Amino acid sequence: MDEPALELTGVSKSFLVPHARRSRLKEYFAHPLDSRGHDRNDALRDISLTVPRGEFLSVIGRNGSGKSTLLKVMAGIYRPDAGTVRVNGVLSPFIELGVGFNMELSARDNIQINGTLVGLTRREIADRLDEILEFAELERFVDQHLKNFSSGMLLRLGYAIAVQVPFDTLLVDEVLSVGDVDFQEKCFATFEQMRAAGKTIVFVSHGLDAVRSFSDRVILVEQGVLTATGPPDEIIDLYLAHVQTRESAEPAVYEGRASL
Amino acid sequence: MSRSGTYVVRRGPLAEQLAYRLRIVSVFARTEFKLKYAGSALGYLWSLAKPSLYFAILWIVFGHLFRTNVPHFPVYLVVGVVLYTFLADAVSLTLPSIVVRGAVLRRIAFPSLTIPLATTASTALTFLLNCIAAGIFIGASGIAPRGSWLMLVPLFVEFYVFVLGISLIFSSLYVRFRDAGQVWEVLSTVILYTSGIMYPLRILPDWAQKVVALSPLVQVVQDARAHILGGDPRAASYTAIAEPHVFPILIAFAALGLGLMLHRHESPRFPEIA
Repeated sequence: MDEPALELTGVSKSFLVPHARRSRLKEYFAHPLDSRGHDRNDALRDISLTVPRGEFLSVIGRNGSGKSTLLKVMAGIYRPDAGTVRVNGVLSPFIELGVGFNMELSARDNIQINGTLVGLTRREIADRLDEILEFAELERFVDQHLKNFSSGMLLRLGYAIAVQVPFDTLLVDEVLSVGDVDFQEKCFATFEQMRAAGKTIVFVSHGLDAVRSFSDRVILVEQGVLTATGPPDEIIDLYLAHVQTRESAEPAVYEGRASL
Repeated sequence: MSRSGTYVVRRGPLAEQLAYRLRIVSVFARTEFKLKYAGSALGYLWSLAKPSLYFAILWIVFGHLFRTNVPHFPVYLVVGVVLYTFLADAVSLTLPSIVVRGAVLRRIAFPSLTIPLATTASTALTFLLNCIAAGIFIGASGIAPRGSWLMLVPLFVEFYVFVLGISLIFSSLYVRFRDAGQVWEVLSTVILYTSGIMYPLRILPDWAQKVVALSPLVQVVQDARAHILGGDPRAASYTAIAEPHVFPILIAFAALGLGLMLHRHESPRFPEIA
């Protein structure tokens, strides 16, 4: 019964840097054997991690450190190049806010589409529609096209759908970035509820205060490597120390890219 | 890129997985149909207007200017145009479909095969509506509905298999090679002019007739004409394809097989590059 919610063993993931990618047949014919100019971005390197059931795990790190890629590999969106991801139970992803909605369709249609994709039946969506709209505070806008929504409204809609799935594990990426204070309070309340219900949460955020107050454990990801695991205070202090020394020493923008 | 990690998740029973996929196909197809006609006053009529215009031009050029000597030429032509339009529309719409839904693929893990399935399904719906319109036109031109029209059902199933296969091939390739769009643009014109849509195949040299008879489109168009005009002895002589149907039918299923294989091979990287 004590299967962990998530288990990653030696997971690596790399991308070809887009501008160097060949997208035309002609380029293949012209230089079929030439592999120069292909930059590889090692987004995740040999990550091993076990997330026990019921844990609130936060992932922190600089922009581009691999946090979001880690979440997408957990969600089954990206297939890892190496290693194994083992998932026990139903996952609900809240990743890349607002992206993936169809802006030409109404909130109602988008709830239908997203609800279906995360596994709900038509009936289940109909039953939850009011709750989703109420949580997102969008009752009045249910039949408006999303192109007229603000980024905060899109965020609320996406999060409201994600938490309505009967999940065991919730993956949350930057839910606090564009919401207002009221919505943040609401999110915090759902965190408490989910924790009380024994749900597992993997939380990616730059909001260190929230990370500090909710997490059971924090992991630090730097240049695709899991560099530290431990209690929130300890890891956040370590992270802040790293950021300060890094900033005074060197620009870190192009780190993490290796040429093949 | 041969090395690959694994993602292990406990799946539900097969029936549940299938139901999940069907729900996605249905919601995608419905919203696509809705989006296609959203904001346009005439809605579905536009889908009817396009093949009608095609038909009118081809009728004027080949029926009157060239005086193609085919009995029931308007009926002959309308069958070809409606079937060709289904193939051309389905492939052109499905071709960019995975790229268009790339943002959704990056957010939620779901089977990407549902995307081309939904697009071809919504095009098939338009095709069926066009068939009703064509049926009315055929009836109005004095051809009475007959039992042999029922033979159109397995024929259309075969045609959908072919259309889906070609759509899968192009939509899978397009994610990595945007050239696929240009290739299809040229290919669709070649197909229009080589498939006996607006002229009888018998005007082609013998060897060319044998080659085009391998095409599932040619076979389906010719057979559909034979079933619809079957009662007319003048029409019967040229419509049906004499060759055994094994080859075009095999090619239709081979196209589907190749499309499914390509999709399976390419799909793990769709979220990254679509």
